Amino acid sequence: MSGLWWALGVSGVSLAVLGYYAFIYLPAQLHRWRCAGLKAFAQIVVLRTNGRYGKPEPMVALASHIALEMGLSLHERRRLELAIYLRDIGMVGIPYAVLNARERTLTEQMVLERHLEMGAAIAEQIPGLSGVAPIVRNHHADYADAPNAPISALIISALEEFLRLAEEVGLEDALGVLKADAGERFHPEVVEALCKVMRTRTQLWGISLDRAASLWL
Amino acid sequence: MYKRRFYLWFWLTSLGAVALLVFSSLQSDWRAHFSTLFILGMVALLTELLLLRYPYQASHAISGLWLSVSTPIVVAVIVLYGWHIGVWLDALATLGAGVITANLKGSHWRWVWLNTAQSVWSAFGAGWVASQVAPTVSLNQPLNLLSAVFFALLAYNAINSLLVGLTVALVDNRRPRWVLTHSLSSLPREMLTLLPLSILVTVMLSALGVAGLVVILAPYLAVRQAFLLWTRQQELYHQTIRSLGFLIMRAHPYTGGHLLRVAQWARRVAERMNLPPERCDLVYEAALLHDIGKTVLDERILNKPGRLTPEEWQMIKRHPQLGAEILSGTPFLKPIVSWIAYHHERPDGNGYPYGLQGGQIPLEARIIAVVDAFDAMIGGEAPSQQRQYRRSLSLEEALAELERSAGAQFDAQVVQVFKEVVQESQKQTPPPAEAFA
Repeated sequence: MSGLWWALGVSGVSLAVLGYYAFIYLPAQLHRWRCAGLKAFAQIVVLRTNGRYGKPEPMVALASHIALEMGLSLHERRRLELAIYLRDIGMVGIPYAVLNARERTLTEQMVLERHLEMGAAIAEQIPGLSGVAPIVRNHHADYADAPNAPISALIISALEEFLRLAEEVGLEDALGVLKADAGERFHPEVVEALCKVMRTRTQLWGISLDRAASLWL
Repeated sequence: MYKRRFYLWFWLTSLGAVALLVFSSLQSDWRAHFSTLFILGMVALLTELLLLRYPYQASHAISGLWLSVSTPIVVAVIVLYGWHIGVWLDALATLGAGVITANLKGSHWRWVWLNTAQSVWSAFGAGWVASQVAPTVSLNQPLNLLSAVFFALLAYNAINSLLVGLTVALVDNRRPRWVLTHSLSSLPREMLTLLPLSILVTVMLSALGVAGLVVILAPYLAVRQAFLLWTRQQELYHQTIRSLGFLIMRAHPYTGGHLLRVAQWARRVAERMNLPPERCDLVYEAALLHDIGKTVLDERILNKPGRLTPEEWQMIKRHPQLGAEILSGTPFLKPIVSWIAYHHERPDGNGYPYGLQGGQIPLEARIIAVVDAFDAMIGGEAPSQQRQYRRSLSLEEALAELERSAGAQFDAQVVQVFKEVVQESQKQTPPPAEAFA
């Protein structure tokens, strides 16, 4: 009988260790590896555009909080993070002169917009990342024009604009613009989640919105 | 010569395995354990069929490696019932699964049989080691049981890796020492994953008999999942490298052939210089990415057919630095960052971008420098290379040019080894590689 208890004890411990290793630790590590690999892709865009496009931070941190607030699944949150690293990779195929022009003609602007399709095509060719391609393709989509675009794409679209405006006019005004355009350019739930995340930060630390922004940005 | 050596190896392994099987059937009492063994055989066959394909190994046979987790069942049988029964169980499960999956893996019958023979030898070795470590095992002697399982598993995996490694060395015409080191390097990881399961199978089989297999099912699936994710992780690393390489080729289509050639030559030089196998793989990958910094540059400069202005030349000279900057944020690419940063440095200190000298330049960067220049000389298609070398040289002329510049522009030892590799490759055409389990 003692042999049986011994057997059950060993099997219980083995099962717990193996289960944790196989179903929790390894999938998380796998995701970290994937993100680390995609950092190199993001860095190509950052360097090619002299820092103008492709920066993954602070968007990754902010997007993950918004996705959590919106109740997205772990799988969807991970896909969103991968898409942020890869979103502007299509710019590798856009002429250097167009990317780095101070002001662009209409034709040049149209050439630049091709980075969405090119990026999606590149994502489709990276094994295991084909699910990210629709997000890359739609990451500049307006909510009113593409209400059926993946929610992750609409989060990135709102955050691109929010972060750009925050640098230009400050956080308060940037949030104001997003609120005003909620339901039109931006998904209302995304804007609501963004506002809530920013508010929670300020309440949590008892600091001003701009101070909170400096921690984010 | 290669064929004769391989067939000698094939027949020796096979005849030895047949002799072991015959001898074991004379020694064992089949009837006493028939029903238990029949069910275990079916489970072992099932686990063999749920194979995992190790998707990519840069230095290994081209179609990858197939891993099986039936080993814990075989080890448990060897420890509890003896090697006489273990060899038969392993042989039948491996042969049965091999025949069924031959089409899936694209294997010839001789690989199926050789794999079976290697399993027999491994099971025999494991049984012998287990009997020396702990002649009798029972649940009341846990230390005996644990040590028997540990050493049996270690022996099984070590012998199997050795035999598979030697076969790969013969078929791929590689140096046995190099292949063996590579094969054995995965041993600790295999032990870590398979040991808990082997202990569990042995204990459950001993305590509950065949009914214990039901309890084993869950951990088995967990291990399988762990193997799947682990191989996926390895694959991710290689996918990243390949995808980055693909990006360079997409941005500059003419570099595709150049990058692949440089990568292949660089790995062969690294192997010949006796670098560890994993280092050789890294050299291959670094060579594939050595021009990644060019994706950042203005393509009007890169593609300019005429002479570059000093400002444009300064821009071009930044590409090793930019390449390093691209890869430095990715932890698993850290080892190759400095090689890419220094692949245009020269032993005499006249290289760029840092002007390092001699030993300050990593060996791997010196290897890439030699091979990169050689490929450019014999017809590297990039306009910048055509500018530099004006016209394509013949193989002999390019080797002579490398020798002339050895010690100043290129590392003399690397040039010498590279010359040997080129001459060797002209003499022989490597035989086609096949995958082994």
